[in-house]
Amino acid sequence: MTPSPERSYYAVSVVGPDRPGIVAGITEALYRLGCNIADSSCAMLASEFAMILIVSHPKPFTKAQLLDELKPAGDRLGMTLSLRSLHDGEEQRRAFAGEICQITVYGADQPGIVYRVTSALAARQINILDLQTKLVGSDDAPVYVMLLEATLPDAITPDDVEQLLANLRAELQVEIGIRIVTPVEL
Amino acid sequence: MAVQPILKYPHPLLKKLAHPVPRLDAEIATLIQDLIDTMQAGPGSVGVAAPQIGAGLRVCVVDVSKSRHGKDNHHGLLAMVNPEIIVRSGSAVMREGCMSVPDYTGDVERATGITVRFLDGQSGAQQEVAASGFEAVAIQHEMDHLDGVLFLDRVVSISTGLFRRKNYG
Repeated sequence: MTPSPERSYYAVSVVGPDRPGIVAGITEALYRLGCNIADSSCAMLASEFAMILIVSHPKPFTKAQLLDELKPAGDRLGMTLSLRSLHDGEEQRRAFAGEICQITVYGADQPGIVYRVTSALAARQINILDLQTKLVGSDDAPVYVMLLEATLPDAITPDDVEQLLANLRAELQVEIGIRIVTPVEL
Repeated sequence: MAVQPILKYPHPLLKKLAHPVPRLDAEIATLIQDLIDTMQAGPGSVGVAAPQIGAGLRVCVVDVSKSRHGKDNHHGLLAMVNPEIIVRSGSAVMREGCMSVPDYTGDVERATGITVRFLDGQSGAQQEVAASGFEAVAIQHEMDHLDGVLFLDRVVSISTGLFRRKNYG
């Protein structure tokens, strides 16, 4: 649905121990309220399940009303809810002009992998669109895997990113791969 | 010259099997010209299939020669009637978008090399073209439209392979 001034928009996040029926329970409550779900993403991390959704409702409607109605469903499922009202075009999807890079990092687990890589990117205004990490391997040889996607500002080329991360690759002794995944319009 | 509007999903024609063209006639010549005009009018467009402009016929045009991915490896403008892929090799994933499915992109796995046989819509001759790289991807994407297949039907997730739990049972 195209964003409309006649609707109120909220970002809803729901986190709690995983079990079957969380998505169904939360979306049933939203459906009965007359909310529309726009973009959403859900994931299981360890045994914790997390949902983040952009929802809208025809005005008049308030954040307090939404919380009152959602809370019983959340309590029943053992989930923690949080809500944020979106204003001034925050509900609009942003268009990104730059190249989209997929960056893979993996190596022996150590503190600071996410911090070091993302702060190098942030310092050059490289914007992260998606990021996932996973701790794998065995107890004596834990391996950290991070997969992220980011948009490059116009002034930064994929080669620049390669250069930027080459130093970290040596310093942290991790593998870092970069791949352009900018969509092709067909 | 007739640039046609591009139909967008959920228009029903985009999910229908297109019909083979029995013979090249004036109507097909007009359709081909419309496809070419529509492709050239779309910013950065490298192909259009007949169902995208409302004609349920097995005709599509592809031209990757002006795109950055295809400019060094292409066969120019291909106007393909009743195209068939007779050889496929390799596979690679590319993130695709489609004028008929705005605002969404997804990773799609396709053959990296194909041989396609078709009736050349401009000369009327039977042709075989061996395409690779981006041109091969574009041809496969446009030919999918003739079978009512959208890239959404082929989207693969980038993370399931990496994060899937192993079963040792």
